[in-house]
Amino acid sequence: MFATYLIGLREGLEATLVVSILVAFLVKSQRRDRLPQVWAGVGLAVVLSVLFGWLIEYTSTSLLARSEDRELFEAITSVAAVVFVTWMIFWMRRAARTIAGELRGKLTEALAVGSLAVAGMAFLAVIREGLETALIFYSAAQGASGDSGPLLALIGGIVTAVMLGVLLYASALRINLTKFFTWTGALLILVAAGILKYGVHDFQEAGVLPGLNNLAFDITSTLDPSTWYAALLAGMFNVTPAPTVLETIAWVGYAVPVLLLFLRPARRKPTPTATTTPVTERGADTGTEAEAESASTPQRA
Amino acid sequence: MRTTQFFALAAAGVLATAGVAGCSDSDKGDPAAGGGPIVVKASDTACEVGSTDLGAGTATFKITNSGAKVTEFYVYADGDRVMGEVENIAPGLSRELHVELPAGTYETACKPGMSGKGIRGALKVSGSAQPLTADAALGDATDNYQRYIKSQTAALLDKTEEFVGAVKAGDVAKSKALYPVARTYWERIEPVAEIFGDLDPKIDGREEVIEEGMEFTGFHRIEKDLWQSGDISKDGPIADRLLVDVKEIVAKANAEKLSPLQLANGAKELLDEVASGKITGEEDRYSHTDLWDFAANLEGSKAAVSALRPALQQRSPELVTQLDTEFANVEALLGKHRDGDGWKLHTALSKTELKELSDGINALAEPISKVAAAVAK
Repeated sequence: MFATYLIGLREGLEATLVVSILVAFLVKSQRRDRLPQVWAGVGLAVVLSVLFGWLIEYTSTSLLARSEDRELFEAITSVAAVVFVTWMIFWMRRAARTIAGELRGKLTEALAVGSLAVAGMAFLAVIREGLETALIFYSAAQGASGDSGPLLALIGGIVTAVMLGVLLYASALRINLTKFFTWTGALLILVAAGILKYGVHDFQEAGVLPGLNNLAFDITSTLDPSTWYAALLAGMFNVTPAPTVLETIAWVGYAVPVLLLFLRPARRKPTPTATTTPVTERGADTGTEAEAESASTPQRA
Repeated sequence: MRTTQFFALAAAGVLATAGVAGCSDSDKGDPAAGGGPIVVKASDTACEVGSTDLGAGTATFKITNSGAKVTEFYVYADGDRVMGEVENIAPGLSRELHVELPAGTYETACKPGMSGKGIRGALKVSGSAQPLTADAALGDATDNYQRYIKSQTAALLDKTEEFVGAVKAGDVAKSKALYPVARTYWERIEPVAEIFGDLDPKIDGREEVIEEGMEFTGFHRIEKDLWQSGDISKDGPIADRLLVDVKEIVAKANAEKLSPLQLANGAKELLDEVASGKITGEEDRYSHTDLWDFAANLEGSKAAVSALRPALQQRSPELVTQLDTEFANVEALLGKHRDGDGWKLHTALSKTELKELSDGINALAEPISKVAAAVAK
């Protein structure tokens, strides 16, 4: 039962993490007007996943029914998601600089981003794991007549993942703006590196890229994939106990340069005294005062 | 809505047909044909595959996990290439895998706990799924063989480059080691090479070509210098020419599409090559590495027959059975003369052993000579 719960948790986290950071970011930078697009992207992905899962499970469709096709689908959507998320990371950095530079007026301008991009990012984050999750869900639902335990465990896992996403969102809202950008950006880079690694692995499983059996290392004995912490690591950062060499190269090749670029210090500014007032933004326009204060906090790399 | 009883019945039917060698009726694939999926019973310690002998085409496995750990199910081709997989099969649940499998041998694996090599089992896929049109099966044969040519010529080019490099560097020991290896790829595709007229004698001609007014070049010229005089200091230009000729034949071979009939004749020609050149020891008269060429000719012949297999299965299933038996026989006979990664030298074989090999080849040549007629049906 617990094993099934962990599947739900892992698959759920893979989808919710990016979405919760994206939502937090939009709320933090006062772009709530973009939220409907996020939910539209998420909703569309969920509906498509459920629909496709149903087609594969209950009809004799040949569309995406073959496992290689699904691997390829997951690989392509993952790589596309990385592109979007990378762009979002630097979008955050620009926002952080704008705020650090007290150019509040320019914030909106810096964040002038297409609705399609936001919706697309949310859509890709969810669809890449949505189909697999839907298929697991159907198999659990089919067995539910005899034993509804697996179905409930799976739903419990997904709900937990969503709750963790909400928690992440809530705590992200509490930290001051500059810190928020740095931390969530860095977190997002690790997530994106994980998604890329995952995509590379799927390309290898689909036979597009070679070297599936060429492992970089194998710590299955220390990091047993059936434990809760292994499920968490896999769900959040796609840290797996036996990655292939190519996956590892992709992960390092992405995470290191992007982290360096992201954390490189912005142009030096004369620094007034720093404040550490936490900013909460429950309403649309509350906390502007507090934010103006915290906005003068210099960005430290 | 399909029911479990139906699966049980279907599985029983699948089990009943399993084990019949060369069973070519489709026991899965097109759901309209009424075949149910192959039932796989997975637990933490076992992986029972309901049927391990399938017809080619789209196979559907239904994996039920009765263990306590999450499991995964894989179908692997040679070298653990993933043909299909399904992950996240939670305890107590069933999931399906649809995977397209051409004829060949595969391995199934359950991975309880999602780690390790898994619990492996053999899986044989033979024949063809539904009667393809005659032309489609033959068209596939041509495509399949072309893929084989592509892989072999790529290796031929690599190894020839290494060989030529060693010769030009004056490294006699390395050249001697590479000589039979590079030739292996050449000998596998010889029927294709013969289509291109005088390129074949340029690359693979023996000393007798001089009598036909040609220059003695290529592999055997370097072989002679390597093993007879041990002096390859003047062979640079010969080696360069060999590489140019090999490059040309590789380009031509990849551009050429052999007809099914040419494939059938090629399979036969390779065996004639074995009988006339390798068993007699004439081919590699200086190095005595004839058994390398023997093995390569046999592999090449088998590859051509394998490409034609689905078509032959439709036209003459008993011929396929006969071919399998005779190929296995010759492979076993030849296998006795393995030596590490390679083969014993021709000179190390007794007359009796050579006679045995020769008889094996003749026994195989008999069904092979019928392939062309079966293809032309």
